[in-house]
Amino acid sequence: MNLYTSFMLITLIILSLPLATNILYVHKNKAYASYVKLSIAYAFITSIIPTTLFIFSGQEMIISNWHWMIMQTLKLTLSFKLDYFSILFVPVALFVTWSIMEFSMWYMHADPNINQFFKYLLMFLITMLILVTANNLFQLFIGWEGVGIMSFLLIGWWYGRTDANTAALQAILYNRIGDIGFILTMAWFLMYSNTWEFQQLFMLDNNLDMLPLVGLLVAATGKSAQFGLHPWLPSAMEGPTPVSALLHSSTMVVAGIFLLIRFHPLMENNNNIQTLMLCLGAITTLFTAICALTQNDIKKIVAFSTSSQLGLMMVTMGINQPYLAFLHICNHAFFKAMLFMCSGSIIHSLNDEQDIRKMGGLFKAMPFTSSSLIIGSLALTGMPFLTGFYSKDLIIESTSTSNTNAWALLITLIATSLTAVYSTRIIFYVLLGQPRFISMPIINENNPLLINPIKRLVIGSIFAGFFLSFNILPMNTPQMTMPTYLKLMAMAVTLLGFVLAMELNIMTNNLKLKIPSSTFKFSNMLGFFPTTMHRPIPLLNLYMGQNTASSLLDLTWLEKTMPKIMSKTQMTLSTTISNQKGLIKLYFMSFIASALMMFLLIS
Amino acid sequence: MKLPILTIVMTTIFTGTMLTMISSHWLLIWIGLEINMLSIIPILTKNQKPRSTEAATKYFLTQATASMLLMFTIVFNAMHSGQWTTTNIDPNNMIVSLTMIIALTMKLGMTPFHFWVPEVTQGVSLMTGMLLLTWQKLAPISIMMQMFTSINSIILLLIALMSVLVGGWGGLNQTQLRKILAYSSIAHMGWMMAILTFCPSLTMLNLLIYLMLTIIMFTMLNMNTNTTTLTLSNLWNKSPTITMMILISLLSLGGLPPLTGFLPKWVIIQELTKNNNIAMATVMAIMALLNLYFYMRLIYSTSLTLFPTPNNIKMKWQFQPKKRSLFLSPLIILSTLTLPLSPVFSTLN
Repeated sequence: MNLYTSFMLITLIILSLPLATNILYVHKNKAYASYVKLSIAYAFITSIIPTTLFIFSGQEMIISNWHWMIMQTLKLTLSFKLDYFSILFVPVALFVTWSIMEFSMWYMHADPNINQFFKYLLMFLITMLILVTANNLFQLFIGWEGVGIMSFLLIGWWYGRTDANTAALQAILYNRIGDIGFILTMAWFLMYSNTWEFQQLFMLDNNLDMLPLVGLLVAATGKSAQFGLHPWLPSAMEGPTPVSALLHSSTMVVAGIFLLIRFHPLMENNNNIQTLMLCLGAITTLFTAICALTQNDIKKIVAFSTSSQLGLMMVTMGINQPYLAFLHICNHAFFKAMLFMCSGSIIHSLNDEQDIRKMGGLFKAMPFTSSSLIIGSLALTGMPFLTGFYSKDLIIESTSTSNTNAWALLITLIATSLTAVYSTRIIFYVLLGQPRFISMPIINENNPLLINPIKRLVIGSIFAGFFLSFNILPMNTPQMTMPTYLKLMAMAVTLLGFVLAMELNIMTNNLKLKIPSSTFKFSNMLGFFPTTMHRPIPLLNLYMGQNTASSLLDLTWLEKTMPKIMSKTQMTLSTTISNQKGLIKLYFMSFIASALMMFLLIS
Repeated sequence: MKLPILTIVMTTIFTGTMLTMISSHWLLIWIGLEINMLSIIPILTKNQKPRSTEAATKYFLTQATASMLLMFTIVFNAMHSGQWTTTNIDPNNMIVSLTMIIALTMKLGMTPFHFWVPEVTQGVSLMTGMLLLTWQKLAPISIMMQMFTSINSIILLLIALMSVLVGGWGGLNQTQLRKILAYSSIAHMGWMMAILTFCPSLTMLNLLIYLMLTIIMFTMLNMNTNTTTLTLSNLWNKSPTITMMILISLLSLGGLPPLTGFLPKWVIIQELTKNNNIAMATVMAIMALLNLYFYMRLIYSTSLTLFPTPNNIKMKWQFQPKKRSLFLSPLIILSTLTLPLSPVFSTLN
């Protein structure tokens, strides 16, 4: 089975070639973008081979290439873990990235730094692949930080805009909070397990403390934008649309879930951490779905739906179904990337207009984009036999039949219903009705660089779920029997969402609304989360910093107590002592006084 | 002052001190001190200005009081013990011990009786000031050295400590060079007296180095008649070598390690520490920093900054000083570079 490892390495080498040539300044012309795209396409094709072999034989493998270093008893190796998760994720990621790269060539064609943009995307992809293929925590951490840094650079791509810079900072700061958890876990493993190798970690002890698991959960919360650390994901929509499509829908944000999937062997016997994950996921999926309901920015709606789906994946982890969560990651990548690309197509065609209230009637102007958008939305809601159905329906069934936290499961169901609501809202406002945009833009979607990637992803959105579920082995026993109403539950809530949303949209479309209700404000202001968390807490921290570090320590202890008081004392004493007026009477007074005092002192 | 008179006066000053130093009879010692004190008065009033007269008056009053007190002590001691020998002072006799300390520290200009020192030094010319701060210290210190065994050490340490404090703080507030040197003298007297009851040879060592440093400082200042920081700051243009030498001598006077001035401070601190007098050594070392600080301030204004000056000050280099200075170079070398010779000094012990 030499093909297995060699083709995986060939994939990685092909990917890193454009970076090498970029250093050597071979591609000073415009061809660099298409060169990168082609490299990724080739890498995708070569990565298909090990995946096929895996599907055929089910063989997992570890490549240990290079002994890195030894610190005390900790051995660090450069090692790739080619197991179920990584071997399936790599081609999916490459396929999606290939499409997005091609889409970027259309979307970013006017950008003066397009070569650099492609280089960043490629570097991001490589770090993501490092993350998924890592066989030890150190290598995983490199990938983890790499995607964080590249995310920062790409969100802040249009660095002339304040919003983009703020969003980039927000992303990197929220991710740092998550990294604290990751580093905590690494330190814990270093201290108590004395290894960072996955195999050894999993073999050692499956009944760990809560601490490293909570650290992992915090890390996943940061990276996958779970509730509490979620505001960066909608803000990250300030970046270019290809960035949103690649990083903030299909690859980077699932890294947190992927981390939890990797460490599932440590979590499967720990009920506490599973309850935590379940509740966190349920809150996230409902909260972000509610936030998505009243947004008017098309990319923000899609971003919130991503966040909601991530919450759903977290719920799946919470009910102890990592393979299902992983399947949803893979399926979600196809249609969510495509939804973003459709949004990008619309935004670009309407002269960078993102407000869905100023769209409408695009079904006539952009038939292909519209069809794709509808297919993507339907796949997202879990329409039977589209890609989303194969994982989402299974997840809903598993949650419905599981006997864990009923409250969490219920709000997951509500969130599922809301998915349909905001999807309908997008379709209704963007595609149907009369145009509300200015009549100037010349709308033309007939560009192969736009059509082809969307086409590929449409095919993926329709069939990928089927092929994936059909070919890979089910690792968990699927729920075989259940009452009919439970089986139909997912369908029913989704249909309910569709109907409700349609009714509401038609009803409210031409009505002038009264003063917004408080529920509307809650949804539209993102649950007041950024307002309450982004101002008072940093303010509190800064005040505390000012009071303790600056005022108390610097200005009082280090400034007043020593230097200032010293110089003041010396000055006072000095002037007192040398302030003599030349009065000899006083000098003799001093003589008498001192003499008397001495006598008194002695006797 | 005419030369014969000056000769006579100077000889008398010399004789008075010598008489004090070689005598072992209290009366003769007292006579020596009196001769010395009376003969220095004409020198102080050599420049006939009100300031000099005032300085001479202050000096006379203080020194006369001290002499009177000394006489009283001697008589009291003679009455008490029936003999006049210097070494035989009863240490248990508190009155004798105390009045003796007061009289001698008053002559030396130490702290509770120090007020005259800066003012008299400021009132007289530089060379007279040098005489006042060097030669005039010899006689009282020689008496101290002879009878230190019968001195109340606690009182003496107290006085020494106060002198060091006053020497440090007093000099901080000065721009007049003579006053700065006067306060420096007070501080050095404090150092000498602090170690006297523990190890008198270190007093001697400190005195030697102090004498050399004070002599060269006054001599160098006298070459261009620098009396304030301002005139000192214009010196760079006229005689850069002297500027640099003043700088190094000041550092040595402040006790900066590679220079000779560090040696007495070093050994005195060591000796005090050996005698479990760590607190005293610490305070003295800290106050020495104050001294060093205002010497550094002089250095700063001399060489690191340029005071506002009229344009024609740049021509001053053409007028070289005509004042002669004896033994300036060997004294500078001795008072700055002889720290490696410290083992030689330690043989005094």
